[in-house]
Order: sequence, then structure tokens, then C-alpha cells
Amino acid sequence: MYQLTDVTKLYATGKRTVPAVRDLSLAIGDGEWLAIQGRTGHGKSTLLNLLGMLDRPTSGTIEFDGRNLTRMREARASRLRAESIGFVFQTFNLVPTLSAAENVEAALIPLRAGAAERRRRVEAALESVALADRARHLPGEMSGGQQQRVAIARALVKEPKVLLADEPTGNLDEDTRDEIINLLEKLWRERGLTLVLVTHDTAIARRAGRVGVMSKGLLTIQAGTRPTHAGDPVTG
Amino acid sequence: MFFLTYLRRELRRRMRQAIFIALGLALGIGLVVTVTAASAGVRQAQADVLRSLYGVGTDVTVTGAPPKPVRPGSAPPKGAQTFQIGPGGAQVCQNGKCHNPAGQTIDRLDSAGYRPISQSKVAEVAKLSGVKAAAGGLVLTDTSITIPKKFGQPGGPLPTPNSFTVDGADTGDLGLGPLSAGTITSGRSLRSSDGTSNVAVVDSSYAHSHKLKIGSTVHIVKHSFKVIGIVAQPQGGNPPDMYIPLARAQAIGTAAGKSLKNDVNTIYVTAASAAVIPAVQAEIRKLLPGDTVTTAASLASQVTGSLSSTAKLANDLGRWLSVLVLIAAFAVASLLTMAAVARRVREFGTLKALGWRSRRITAQVMGESLVIGIVGGAAGIALGFAGAAIITAVAPELSASIPGSNGPRIVSVGGGATAGRAFPQAAAPTVAVPMSASVTVAAIVAAVLLAVAGGLLAGSFGSWRIARLRPADALARVA
Repeated sequence: MYQLTDVTKLYATGKRTVPAVRDLSLAIGDGEWLAIQGRTGHGKSTLLNLLGMLDRPTSGTIEFDGRNLTRMREARASRLRAESIGFVFQTFNLVPTLSAAENVEAALIPLRAGAAERRRRVEAALESVALADRARHLPGEMSGGQQQRVAIARALVKEPKVLLADEPTGNLDEDTRDEIINLLEKLWRERGLTLVLVTHDTAIARRAGRVGVMSKGLLTIQAGTRPTHAGDPVTG
Repeated sequence: MFFLTYLRRELRRRMRQAIFIALGLALGIGLVVTVTAASAGVRQAQADVLRSLYGVGTDVTVTGAPPKPVRPGSAPPKGAQTFQIGPGGAQVCQNGKCHNPAGQTIDRLDSAGYRPISQSKVAEVAKLSGVKAAAGGLVLTDTSITIPKKFGQPGGPLPTPNSFTVDGADTGDLGLGPLSAGTITSGRSLRSSDGTSNVAVVDSSYAHSHKLKIGSTVHIVKHSFKVIGIVAQPQGGNPPDMYIPLARAQAIGTAAGKSLKNDVNTIYVTAASAAVIPAVQAEIRKLLPGDTVTTAASLASQVTGSLSSTAKLANDLGRWLSVLVLIAAFAVASLLTMAAVARRVREFGTLKALGWRSRRITAQVMGESLVIGIVGGAAGIALGFAGAAIITAVAPELSASIPGSNGPRIVSVGGGATAGRAFPQAAAPTVAVPMSASVTVAAIVAAVLLAVAGGLLAGSFGSWRIARLRPADALARVA
């Protein structure tokens, strides 16, 4: 799925240059669940942004299904994001003026699906996260857990190959956290997704096939305690 | 449709800001519409003044040169009457013969303001290149003075002059000249068959003040004319008091004591198109070098008084004020739109993460700005109508003075004034012009275009920011 080779990402802060990711080489297989841990500011979110083509590396190459993302034009990158990559954010990032169904529908707009097709897929996505009865509710009318489930439905409605989740339970209480992680794991298993999940929570990370730890921009891969979903060999 | 749903929800969310922006645009656009309406009203008033002078469709007007000023002590022109006051009382002299006019009424129909032009010149003008039609006319003033018996003696009474203006209209071509601008309110207008008849069409104001109606008789230099029609001229002008057939005016009118037979003192010209007016003016100047050739545009520039001042105010100050308010409104709209975009950075970053291209997000923001602009434009048009109505309701009556226009400008006896002239020449006539502001279709179209431009301008600033927005930065900024 992903092949990262000597990837470095530098940020300029005034006259200083700060390396967020350094010389990272990593392969992520189809259907794998990779958890990334690490302290705040050590490059976890930067790595996720690079995988999602929300940012470009300063050096090195990132390949996705054999395509070099590093040199990909923005229009094509947008298309790839629209078709193949789903995002789940810590702060849910729902559009506050749109209902749950409309937020989910927003992910289908770049795919130019017809209105009837969009409606069908939105209903199915909300059904899969058990929120069909909240379709018309605005984000402000829902709990944090419900909002995150809408965000997951939004990420999965386009049936992506990859789900990138950045601290998806960071803003949730313990019960809701378990509910969301159980949901993500269920969807990962059912849909054969490649799941890359950034988390501070070791208990959640332990449920992944592999765990990587980011420290000062360097990634160290640790063997997971559970098998990966796809069973592909993992190197790193 | 998702685009409209998103647009509507977003505008509803920031309704107060949207209303504020729309009101700013409305204020600017409303001011533009009001100023444009006021300008149009002033232009209309000017046009009415000019139309009442020279009629509808007259592009160029030729008037005979003004009479040469008489030097003190010089002999009066042959045939001219002079009026002298001496120890023995008042005397009227003509060709060296004097008599005491005490108790007499002296009545003259005179082309006092303009020297005559041969009527044959009308045909020559009509044949010039670029001339569509030409008609001659006589602008005359009937002045009568009854000399009291003891006039000139110590303690004696002063004579009382009475004057009115008479327009000799070419009954063969009534489509040109002052009569063409009027509306017959009673009776009928002149006809070609009236050429040699003593018939008159009387201006409605004059008819009202002198209690004239159809069938009444008016006296012009002791000739009786039957009133066959009452005509109302556009407001704001200074029309002739009555219109008689040109042939009759030529027969009874004089200029410097000479008959006006086969003469006119005004030629009304219609050009083939607006583009050829300057060329026609130049041609006529060549043909009639001593006479005054005036276009409607040049005459408009000679209009003075509060009408002229208001026109300048509306055109200059009003226009610049509108531009300034519009710039301020556009700037505020742009800044507020940029601020709104700044507050939605995470939202746009998220949409980019979902695969939305920048141009789609830009279209969303532009759509929102455009709707605000159109709402502002509609409100601005309403404000413009209200402003125009207020101007029409409260604006004071304007005045206009037109040098060289017909009217009761000469109050003297005889065509050739001398050192013994008894009455001065009056100043250019001043007429009252009601001020009205009317919103034109062009102003509404301009308002709509401005509203769209304002919306697009405000949206484009926000869109520029979105286009530069990198999704990772957008998401990191709030993470």
C-alpha cells in the first residue's frame, strides 16, 4: 500500500529549521493496522499528513499503490484523497452548519456521484455507525461520541482503501473511547481497510497489528501483539 | 442541491455579518442610484428647458446675430423710432420727424434680440450635408406702451409697458421649433392651411393669466388674431406666449424699423445623426458666418442658475461621494469576507482533506459573497428609489437662466435704441424648474452590476486566501 523511503520533513520556524520527520523508511501493507505513538510534537501528525497527501516531504519519496505521491500534482492528489483516503480527526472537524447526513454527503461531492446514489450511500454509512436516526441532527445537537461516529461515517462512505485517524478518541471519555475503537476495529475487519491510527493511548495501540513510536522525528517500529488483518509481511 | 444547501446554511449561521455586509453594499449602491437619479432629473430639467425653447428634435439652432450696440450720439438706423424726453415733454422721432406721443399707444412687434436672416438661407441650410430637416421661425416681442398725456412734465406719470412674446411658426414644417414640444390642451394646433390666417395658439400659462380661451381675440400690433388652440409646454421652460403663422409674423413684424417680409431670425435644424452634429454646426457657420449657431449641448452649457449648480453638484460631488462610499463598502465587505474565511480555515482544510479541490471551495465562498452582493444590490435599489422620492419631495425649485433665449427681454420702444433710450434691456430670463429625481433602467442595471462586482470582489479576496491554503497548515492551525 505505502512505501516510504528516506522521508524527511522540515519546518522553518523563524531562522531555525525543525525536522518533524527524519529519514523515515516504512512499508505499510494492504489491510494492515498500524498504530503510531509518541509524545506531542514528535512528528506523529506530520507523518499522518504525509500519508494523506495533506503535506509534502522535504526529501525522500512516498509511494501509494506504486504511485509516487511526492511529485503528484495537487489536482490529482485531491482526486486520490477523494477516492482512496479517509480521515478521522481528534476534533471531529464536522461542518457545524450541515446535518450529520450532509456532513457525510460532503465526502461524496468530489466523486460527482448522483443525488440518489449519494443519498443511498449516506444512509448506509450512517447505518454502519448506528446513527441513522440522527441523520438530520446538526453536530451541535450531538454528543462527542456521536460526532466522531459521523466523522467515521464520513471517512468510510466513499469506501476508501486507507483510513488515517489522528487521535480519534482524544476528545472522548473512556466509555465512548472504547465504543469508537471497537467501531473502528469492526470496520477495519469487515472492510479490509488499511488503518493508520495515531494515539497516545497504549491500550488502544496494543490492539493494532504493529506499533510505531515517533521520537524527535524518528520512527521505531515495534512488533504488535495481534496479527495484522491482511496478513501481509511488514517491514520497517 | 448540496451547493445551495451549504450556501444557505452558512449564510444563516453568520446572518448578522451577512446583513452588515449587505447593508454596506446597499448604502453605497443606494447612493449611486440616488445620485444617478438626481443627475437624470437635472438632465431632464435641462432638457425640458431647452426643449421648450427649441422644440423636440432640434439638434442645431441658428439665431440672427445680436443687433450692433448703438454708440451714444450716433444717428439712429433708418426707419427706427427714437424716444426722447425734453423740457417740452416726450417725443417720438422717426426718420427725422418728431411728434408728441402724449395720449398715444405705441405698439411694435419687433425682432429686438436677433438680426434677421433671409428666409432663402433656410433652404440652403436644409441642403447641407448631414442636415435632415430645417425650418425657419421668427422670435418676436410685442411691446406696447401707452404714453400718458402729462408724461415728461414734472410730477407726470410714467408710461406702463406691456409686452408678450410671439413665435412665428413655419406652418409648412411644424415638426420643428418650440411648438413641437408642446401639448395641445384645447382646440387645435396650427396647420399648413393657416399660413395667411390671423390665428394664434396661446401658451396655457399666458392664456390662464389673461383669461383667454378658444375663440378669444388677441391683438398683436393692432391686428386681431383668433385663438384656435391652447398649448402646454414642458415645465421649466420659458416658452413663447403665443404662436402665429410665420407668414403673418413676417408681415407684421419689424427689425430695426424694417419689415421682416421674407426674413426669419431663427432656423431650427435636425441632423441626420448625432455623430454629424459638429460637422453640421461647422457647415452652417460657414454659410452664415455672422449668425449664432448653437447645438443643444453647447446651449446646455450656457444654462446658469441653481439648475446648473445642482447639475454640477450631482455630477461632480455626488459622483465622487458615491465612488468613495462604494469603495468603503467594497473594502468592508472584502475585509469581513476574509475574516469569515479565516474563521473557517479548519472547515476548508477538512474539505480539502476530503478531496474537495480549491476551486470548488472557492466557488462556495464566491457564491456566498455573490448572494450577499445581490441582496445588498436589491436593498440598494430600494434605497435608491427612496432617496429619489425624498429628493423629489423635499428639493427646492431650481432656477435656470439661458442667455439668448426668447422671452420678454426687451422692454424698449423702437428697434434702434438711441441715447434717449427710455427702458433698459432686461437680463437673460430666469425660469423656475421643479427638481425631480427619477430612477432609470440604466441606474438599476448599474446597481445590479455593482452588486455583482462587490460580491465577486469580496469573494475573490477570500478565495485567494483559500487557494493559498495548504490542508496540513489549515488543520495544524487549530489542532
